[in-house]
Amino acid sequence: MKKVSSTFKITASAMVLALLVVGGWPLYRHRASSMEVVCGPGVTEILMLSDFLPDLRNTAADTPVFVLSGTEPGGSALIIGNTHANEPEGLLAAALIVENAVVKKGTLYVIPCFNRSASLNTRPGEGYPVYFSVETPWGKKKFRMGNRDASPLDQWPDPDVYIHFPEKQMLSYLDIRNTNRTWPGRHNGMPMEQVTFAAMELLRNHKVDLAIDLHGAETMFPVTNCIVAPEKSMRIATLAALTVKAVEGFESHVESSPEKFRGLSHREIGDYSDTLPFLLEAPIPFLDQPTGPKSEQLFLDGRDEFLLSLSRRKKLFVSYDESGWPLERRVGQHLSVSLEIIKQYSRRHPGRAIIVENVPRYSEVVEKGIGYYFQNPATAKKEKVITF
Amino acid sequence: MLFRTLLIAAIIIVFYSLAKWQKLSVELSLLAATIGGALAGSIFSSPPPAEIPRHLVEGSFTYLDVILVFFTATLFITIIQKSGGVDFAVRRTVVRFYRARFLALFLLMVIVLIPGALTGAGSVSLLVVGTPVALALKGLGVEEEKIPAILFILAGLAAAAPPVNIWAMVLCAGTAIPYVGFELPLGLPVIILGTLTVVILGRRKGADEIDSFLEKITPHPGMNWLRLLLPFLVFFGLVLAYRVYPFNFPVLGLPLEFLIASLVALVLSPVRLNLIKVASETVSKLLPLLAIMVIVGMLQQILSASGVKGLISYSVLIIPLGLLFCLLPVIIPVSEGVLTYGGAAIIGIPLVWYLNSLGYHATIVISGLSLLWPLGDGLPPTALIGRLSVMVSGYQGKYWQFLKETWVPWLIITATGMLMIIFSAKLKFLVTG
Repeated sequence: MKKVSSTFKITASAMVLALLVVGGWPLYRHRASSMEVVCGPGVTEILMLSDFLPDLRNTAADTPVFVLSGTEPGGSALIIGNTHANEPEGLLAAALIVENAVVKKGTLYVIPCFNRSASLNTRPGEGYPVYFSVETPWGKKKFRMGNRDASPLDQWPDPDVYIHFPEKQMLSYLDIRNTNRTWPGRHNGMPMEQVTFAAMELLRNHKVDLAIDLHGAETMFPVTNCIVAPEKSMRIATLAALTVKAVEGFESHVESSPEKFRGLSHREIGDYSDTLPFLLEAPIPFLDQPTGPKSEQLFLDGRDEFLLSLSRRKKLFVSYDESGWPLERRVGQHLSVSLEIIKQYSRRHPGRAIIVENVPRYSEVVEKGIGYYFQNPATAKKEKVITF
Repeated sequence: MLFRTLLIAAIIIVFYSLAKWQKLSVELSLLAATIGGALAGSIFSSPPPAEIPRHLVEGSFTYLDVILVFFTATLFITIIQKSGGVDFAVRRTVVRFYRARFLALFLLMVIVLIPGALTGAGSVSLLVVGTPVALALKGLGVEEEKIPAILFILAGLAAAAPPVNIWAMVLCAGTAIPYVGFELPLGLPVIILGTLTVVILGRRKGADEIDSFLEKITPHPGMNWLRLLLPFLVFFGLVLAYRVYPFNFPVLGLPLEFLIASLVALVLSPVRLNLIKVASETVSKLLPLLAIMVIVGMLQQILSASGVKGLISYSVLIIPLGLLFCLLPVIIPVSEGVLTYGGAAIIGIPLVWYLNSLGYHATIVISGLSLLWPLGDGLPPTALIGRLSVMVSGYQGKYWQFLKETWVPWLIITATGMLMIIFSAKLKFLVTG
């Protein structure tokens, strides 16, 4: 074997060290960064998820729960964003609700960043940007791009196979850090099982009527652009889907929640509480495998030539043209479908009605942009700005 | 976009070729290709130049868990080896079974299948039992170049075997299909193909060499079955304990399970061993393999950030179905050779969705694909399992010579996998649960 000189070894080691520092710094900054939400006029209380399971207190998994209570009693709904932190349409939709919604009747619970640990994680091997920004009238508002799974810095090691509680179904080892596979959770389980358990406690203790989990899915994934619902939520999901199509002109079909696939919010929330669960999927081209560079621009506008070509060959599960599938459409869909689910439920259960006002709907978000609805944290009252 | 992505892909290939031409190692050549791809991509701001260091560092962590498993598993088996356990096991096994040759081969196959089936990693099979099984095969008179070939095929089948098949799990996670019902579609072909492999490759070479073989194997007199088996029992006990009591037993993870078993082996060893020395020898032995894992992660990150990964996926999806079936036996193993488990995500997930939409049965398709992916673990640039097979068997010949020996089982496995995919709808009766 060729002998390597000490000078070469020292030089190579110094270069690797320099690369680690220069390349590692942005990753460190990402984990140390915060996102901001300005409490809107409807926020009446701010809880933490750890209020429902104290073990989560002072951990990276703890996250704010915004409560928007109406002046009249009624039903209640939970809206969850960032279950998968690489599908941040849910985070944006939930944040818009917190900053704008006014609840007249009933109560809304909103968790914009459900898997906070995943939002502090990045996705090695996938080449994602670590942040994205949306234009607002007062400048750019920056958000963390996270990962599908919680950070190994917060939950590690993984088992060689993940066994779901309580059904004992075997799932991929990575899914033990995926908060859409750990429902209904365990109080003494792994941190992500504790996160879903705490959410179940919220649902059970506060007798929440509806739970809406906001996601994004690939355009090549059959379960995309849809509402996933178990049998008990099916009627309301169908009515909401039909209404948004007829009134607002966009498609969001209904998919049945499979009984044999465990750990998902749309399955376990329904099975382990009285709450009606719904999981909304908006098409997010950024997540598709056959795309060009994984850039911030692709995330924002959802435009990609490879996907366009595949669409012409009828290999996508959504309609797709040169306009792509911009973030405004994805967030707008989530807002409209969520509001419609709440409305349909309220019609059928007047005693448990929830009346929410001042939340922009699909056409408004598409026309004015998402940023139009965000308040400027710099000019807002300090106590109104919540970071996570 | 197509032109610029093709240009970046071409520059990656040029950098790799130039590095190889300069006789750099596979690891350094891949690093050169990665840096070339990053620089070429930065011309089009994909990734932006300032982001390159972050992408390289982030990508290098892609396989951190796998690296830890490789290190701790190799440390474990090195301790067993240095304590005389391997020599002891081989001598006893060969003496006991060499007259019942088929039974001996079948049992050795099962021994190789178990660790990989439990952990989903063929590497674990090789690292834990590869060396003793290689010696046992030698004792049974199997040709030298056929020993790593047997180990390579069996380790691949072990990784594909239920209950844990990582390709299937990655595909199920990505396609939202429950990881259930894979016992028969994966278990049956693995047992049949494994048996065929040991029968075909395990034929006796000329005269019986048992006596001369046994003369070479002189285990330490202090070694016995208890000292040998207890560390293995501890390891498998820890793996099984989580399966049996998943909600009461702590999640230890494979690296810690191997470390605990290593400590048990160290305490029970009749030979006094210096843990630091053994650990540093293990790192030296594994360095090329660990370097490959780090650099492949970086390469994947750059391929994704530059759009080349998307181009690969897109290219597979636009192939007409008939041609796709003809090309899958090449595409799938090559994707594994380049991207390891990344191939399952990049090509597998859209492929399963596409075939599923045409009426093919997803569980059987995933099972069929799962038989093809392990074959790619013998192909460069990574050749993870191939290189490990050579390493644990002590084979001194050329790499391609050993790989050539696998051609008959390779073809049979390919044919089986492809038939499962093509006739998946007719085979759905195998799916239970």
